[in-house]
Amino acid sequence: MKKLTALLLSAVMVLSLAACGDSARVPADSGNTDTTATTTTDTASADTASSDTASTDTSADASADASADTSAEGSSINVCLASEPASIDPALNSAVDGATLLVHLFSGLAKWDQKADGTLDLVPDAATDLPEGVENGDGTVTYTYTLRDGLTWSDGQPVTANDFVFAWNRAASDDLAADYGYMFEVVDGYDEVAEGSADSMNIQATDDKTIVVTLKNAVAYWNELLAFPTYFPVREDVVANESWATDPATFVCNGPYTMTQWNHNSLITLTKNDKFVDADTITMNEINFYLSDDANNMLTNFENGSWQLIDDVPTNEIAALKDKYPDEFIVTGQLGTYYVCWNVNENILPAGSSLSGAEAEKAEQEIRNAVGLFFDRNYIVEEIGQAGQVPAGSFVAMGLTDADGSQFYDNANGGKGSYYDVSADALQSNFDIAVETLKKYYTYDESTGKFTDFPVMTYLYNTSEGHKAIGEYLQSALAQVGITMNLENQEWNTFLETRKNGDYSIARNGWLADYNDPICFLDMWTTASGNNDVQFGKGGNESIKAYSIDLTDLGYDTKVTDGTWAETYDVVISDIKTCTDSKTRYALMHKAEDLLMSTGCICPLYFYTDIYMLDKNIQGFFSNPLGYKYFMFCHQ
Amino acid sequence: MNPKTLKYILKRLILGVFTVWVVITLTFFIMHAVPGGPFLSEKAVSPAAQAAMEAKYGLDKPLMVQYTTYLTDVIRFRFGPSLKQRGRMVIDIMYDGLVVSVRLGIVAALLALGFGVVLGATAALRRNTVIDRIIMIITTAFVSMPSFIMGSLLLVAFAIKIQLFPANGATEGGLVLPIITLMLYPMSYITRLTRSSMLDVLGQDYIRTAKAKGVTGWRIIFGHALKNALIPVITYFGPMLAYIVTGSLVVEQIFAVPGIGRAFVQSIINRDYTLIMGTTIVLASLIVIMNLVSDIMYKIVDPRINLE
Repeated sequence: MKKLTALLLSAVMVLSLAACGDSARVPADSGNTDTTATTTTDTASADTASSDTASTDTSADASADASADTSAEGSSINVCLASEPASIDPALNSAVDGATLLVHLFSGLAKWDQKADGTLDLVPDAATDLPEGVENGDGTVTYTYTLRDGLTWSDGQPVTANDFVFAWNRAASDDLAADYGYMFEVVDGYDEVAEGSADSMNIQATDDKTIVVTLKNAVAYWNELLAFPTYFPVREDVVANESWATDPATFVCNGPYTMTQWNHNSLITLTKNDKFVDADTITMNEINFYLSDDANNMLTNFENGSWQLIDDVPTNEIAALKDKYPDEFIVTGQLGTYYVCWNVNENILPAGSSLSGAEAEKAEQEIRNAVGLFFDRNYIVEEIGQAGQVPAGSFVAMGLTDADGSQFYDNANGGKGSYYDVSADALQSNFDIAVETLKKYYTYDESTGKFTDFPVMTYLYNTSEGHKAIGEYLQSALAQVGITMNLENQEWNTFLETRKNGDYSIARNGWLADYNDPICFLDMWTTASGNNDVQFGKGGNESIKAYSIDLTDLGYDTKVTDGTWAETYDVVISDIKTCTDSKTRYALMHKAEDLLMSTGCICPLYFYTDIYMLDKNIQGFFSNPLGYKYFMFCHQ
Repeated sequence: MNPKTLKYILKRLILGVFTVWVVITLTFFIMHAVPGGPFLSEKAVSPAAQAAMEAKYGLDKPLMVQYTTYLTDVIRFRFGPSLKQRGRMVIDIMYDGLVVSVRLGIVAALLALGFGVVLGATAALRRNTVIDRIIMIITTAFVSMPSFIMGSLLLVAFAIKIQLFPANGATEGGLVLPIITLMLYPMSYITRLTRSSMLDVLGQDYIRTAKAKGVTGWRIIFGHALKNALIPVITYFGPMLAYIVTGSLVVEQIFAVPGIGRAFVQSIINRDYTLIMGTTIVLASLIVIMNLVSDIMYKIVDPRINLE
């Protein structure tokens, strides 16, 4: 008996050897066809619901069609922005690549549109137009929108005003706890939502086609919010299924495209929605979003023609790519700032310094501002960044506009345009000023040109080659004058927590705007803000009276000399949020930035840019300042 | 199967469950001790929203309560929702990953077995010739090279320099390089095993008897020698699968293969607690079961071995 089993077993093994000859060839020759086939069978044989199987089948067909289309008539485009999106539920998404998918899938009240001259504009989308608000007696402003005729969901049901009202209440609710729930803070009644009472926002659907929304006060960027994915409609019965947005079979949307395939971690396919009211204007039939964040892999696929747009390239290839593909390597502005932040509670005075409290803080403000002058921003962008970044002399990023439409950063610091000179010529004078300032507080050895008693600091950054290279440069710049700064890197999630808790002395930081309004760079520094990494008004800084603000010239009676952070900065921000006059509001924002920059805790290095590569045969592509990419009007 | 063997299997199964429980417990507490959390992002959510999220997923409860809740759920095979990929269940994510990983692993294992036995037998039959030397030098090199170096080398050579295969494991033909990376080590190991045990067997009396009786070359090899020579190879089966499971963590990361190994690594980076636990349990159980299967097979092919 035993012998028999042994014999059988060896027979099986020998057989499997013979079989190996075949299986060896399978993956090499026809890896892909084999893959699709197996997936389909596997899903079918699994214990998942039958709808699952159905969706897999259609997706297999869709992918077959896709490849046929690419070669045949060019009505499909293959792009790669990033890896698997965390969520493509419009309320839950907080990523730029997710937003790009959403602007193709949904139609909000407003949308970004490219005019004939190439500039961008906000135009009505699901709404018939974007009317001005009507101011009420109490300062609140009411907007009334009418939905266009013929709007339908991808499953054929009509889009109603209620879908918008439902979606907005859902997105703002604590139950959903969306990252971008605060996008509704401009709406009257939002504060009660934050306190836990659902549906208290002042939004109504007066009939199937009319939406009435009341804001706390006039908001300059309201139309921009309407074009933001968080404001897109969703239907109650669809989202009742919590996993509706993860499967094409349950994904119901109202925009120019529908999702026809989602192979997780691999590919999302959007197909033109013929039921969409403006379907005639959409020229691209199918968009394949390949899901990968490997820049080398993206470049390989771009160069061999498989993908027509890639959103990232390997950093060390940038210089070469600019030369090799002058028409296809594209650099555009992005609303963001790369900066270094100091922990306001970190003592940087020399050991034995007699200063304390507000005096110490004022001295440290001067010191931090001086240290910031040692850094050559031009070197950083040209030698390290290499992607057309712009040296930054202020915190609110390039690209955000002022009250009159000019660049906010051009008008910073009382019209000087920056808080220090970032030009290459000013390098030496910046250096001299910094040394003179620091001499007031530290011992300077004239013979070696170095400070001898500057405390040792640690620069914290998240693990990445690019951040490391910048850290090393900052380190060497300070070493020239005898300041020792050690480098410490932490893995991303740990880094976020350390920085948020203020367990650092200096840290790498960066911020991207969510909408074109400087407030999104400024309200993050209020005492209670979750993004207040500097720890303003927290810990030891809470009682420090070292900040001054004077708003009397703008008609406010706030004038504080030597107050706490809460008495100064928090007050300006809350004034900005309730200010209805655009000009005054922007003037207040400049004052807030002045106060912020005077602390020296924020040391801007450069303004971000967005680099991508686009096949030169593709026409009709555009992207908006937030980095959303639009493929619907593309053609070859 | 005799009662002794059954008793042994039962004992091993109980021990296996205990092992997995230890793994669950250690992972659970270490995971919560690591700084950071699933809801941390560069743009901080409001404290109220943060609290609501934690309440929703039960993360506001004391750690021991969370632990016992989790254990009772897992016993009923409830792995819960992913904390990071909102709307997706851990079980679905793991299933998607397993489909890819199992295919990757099985193909790599079969190729390793096939090439390993053929190369090993060839080397043994051509002992001390040039062919034998070449096979031994190459396999020694592969055995001593860790998979992350091998993977990176193959990636640079065949995906970036020659561009024969894609670098991304999720695209067409993308599994070729990961499979090669994963199979080279076990293949080389099996080659060496087969060679030495084949040499051993070929020197045995019964082979000499068969030759004396006039059995021809091929029949000796396949009918008599190989059968016995493969016993050590079968014993390597368990360690090989363990290697492939753990090796896939590295390989899937290098080639961006959307398998369970990558899901495991990503879940740790994201602090996706439920997914970390789910993938850890699946991978640990896999190794435990594979080792048991290998031991049983060992017993079946070689009755001299006493499982006790």
